[in-house]
Amino acid sequence: MPDAVSTGPEVVQPTSASDDVLRVEHLSKRFGPVTALRDISLHLRKGEVLGLLGDNGAGKSTLIKILSGFQKQDSGQMFLHGQPYEPKGVDDARSKGIDTVYQDLALIDELSVYHNLFLRRELVHKPLPFLANREMKLQARKALDEIGINIPRIDVAVARLSGGQRQAIAVARTVNGDADIILLDEPLAAMGAKEGSMILDLVARLKEEGKVSIIMILHNYVHVLQACDRVSMIQEGVIALDKPTAETSVEELTDIVVNEYRRAREETHAAAAAHAGAEGLL
Amino acid sequence: MPPLRGEDGLLSRVLALREGSIIVVTVVVAIYFALNTSSFFTSANFKTLLPYFAPFAILGAGEVFVMILGEIDLSIGGTYLLAPYLFYKLSSTVGLPLVPAVIVALIACMAVGLINGFFTAIVGISSFVVTLGMLFALEGLTLVISHGEPVETPGAQVHATTREVTHVVNGVQIHLPEQVNHISTFAKIFGAGIYSELIWALVIVIVLQVVLTFTRWGLHTVAVGSNKLGAGEAGVHVKLVMIRNFVLCATAGGLVGILEAVRSSSVQPDTAGANEILFYGISAAVIGGTLLAGGSGTVVGALIGALFLGILKDGLILQGVNANYLLLYLGLSIIIAMTVNVYVQRVRRGSHSA
Repeated sequence: MPDAVSTGPEVVQPTSASDDVLRVEHLSKRFGPVTALRDISLHLRKGEVLGLLGDNGAGKSTLIKILSGFQKQDSGQMFLHGQPYEPKGVDDARSKGIDTVYQDLALIDELSVYHNLFLRRELVHKPLPFLANREMKLQARKALDEIGINIPRIDVAVARLSGGQRQAIAVARTVNGDADIILLDEPLAAMGAKEGSMILDLVARLKEEGKVSIIMILHNYVHVLQACDRVSMIQEGVIALDKPTAETSVEELTDIVVNEYRRAREETHAAAAAHAGAEGLL
Repeated sequence: MPPLRGEDGLLSRVLALREGSIIVVTVVVAIYFALNTSSFFTSANFKTLLPYFAPFAILGAGEVFVMILGEIDLSIGGTYLLAPYLFYKLSSTVGLPLVPAVIVALIACMAVGLINGFFTAIVGISSFVVTLGMLFALEGLTLVISHGEPVETPGAQVHATTREVTHVVNGVQIHLPEQVNHISTFAKIFGAGIYSELIWALVIVIVLQVVLTFTRWGLHTVAVGSNKLGAGEAGVHVKLVMIRNFVLCATAGGLVGILEAVRSSSVQPDTAGANEILFYGISAAVIGGTLLAGGSGTVVGALIGALFLGILKDGLILQGVNANYLLLYLGLSIIIAMTVNVYVQRVRRGSHSA
């Protein structure tokens, strides 16, 4: 009878470099009986765009949430510019230069484009507590122009904008916030080719400027190879691949996933067989 | 849908406001009563109208801040009932001067809001359940400390003095004694002056509308109500925003309780009355255009919603509606007026997108 206990994918030893801005060592995270992250180690170099791949439920979003200070890991360490990095919350992470664009975008539908851009960083007429709306509009317009996002009206509620425009605003918010590490959680989800290329152009422009380093969760391998310098693949809570995009291909990435599915199916069958065997003994 | 009077017409501009439709409905109701009863459009009646709506406007204003979050606060009926008794105890038993006694009583209401906020935002119990429990608990507490008996409101008693007034009758001077009633400055400010509650209501509504529209507090309130998770991810202190608004709302309930106690110069342990006041306050906010589902709301709308309720009740009484029928008609009128409101709102949306 085959061993029914999961062996899981092979863990790849993480690479590292001298110009790492962020390093993560042996992170784990459980939610009750569910293990989201088993043993995650990865690193991010200055000015680099790192693509994160992985199946649904592999732990990508959990990893992003821990990096951004929204959740806390159970064990493992993180280092930012070589110093221990233990964010106390989203604000704390942001003040240390790590900002996140979540899958749900964290945009407030009821609020205008410029209020969304400045959410939590609103300008006020000091010492009075009143919002400096005119100043925020000017700065918002300037920031959007600088990174080449075309939003005709910035005083309309974001509920009225298209998916691509909303994503662009969410990205612009992090860039506007002087982050030097930006985490993008599926920036191309539910987006047409035209809008998707607008976001990839935006990422390429940020890379060219070289000021920010980016970790980006993607689903499409072509996008990964096009937009990223390096790719890490997460499977069942561990890193199963870590390579520069120049050294890998759509075929290799596909093979890993196909093998993963094959192994998962065999495990399911083995478990079913073991179960049937156990019942037969009764 | 074509614009009603062109883009810049007065009606279209009123309708473009969030409060637009309720303004129109309130004006229509006022015109109806003005045409059908001779005594509606008189200054004497406007003075009668004031206590019918000013307290509800203040309660509604506080409630708007909680309802924009998608929550509700039923405990304002409790702070409404408890605060004047605390004020009485602090003044007559503890011996605090009047104004400090009011302030300490309001601080106690803030503590109630803090507890509501704690259980809703941090423990994660539904605000309906938390504040319903708090409502019963505070009403019970009030009955316990008051022994179910009404007391005289400190500083609100009317003093009558007699003075000699000289009249000239048929060329002969005669002196007659005349009684003059005095109320203290404290009482005039805290509810007993004719316009006192109106001024409190207007100041509170204006200040809170400014807070809602022009400060980070208001912006974050809308953000949490519109997308709680997203606001948290963006770094908004969701729990702090929620607790702060519950504190504000409970305090508004306590303030109205004290104003009403001073106005009527007695403190009544009337739990049924407190529950009615609570529902008028929430109705004012809802009628004014604040969504029960959260994400959007207006304080000025709550004022107009309260005015609508006041005009409706006052107008029905002036029309000589039998007391037994009053609540029935009031209830039906609210439903009819709100149905009209929905249609006016559709017109408003239409003109908005045109």
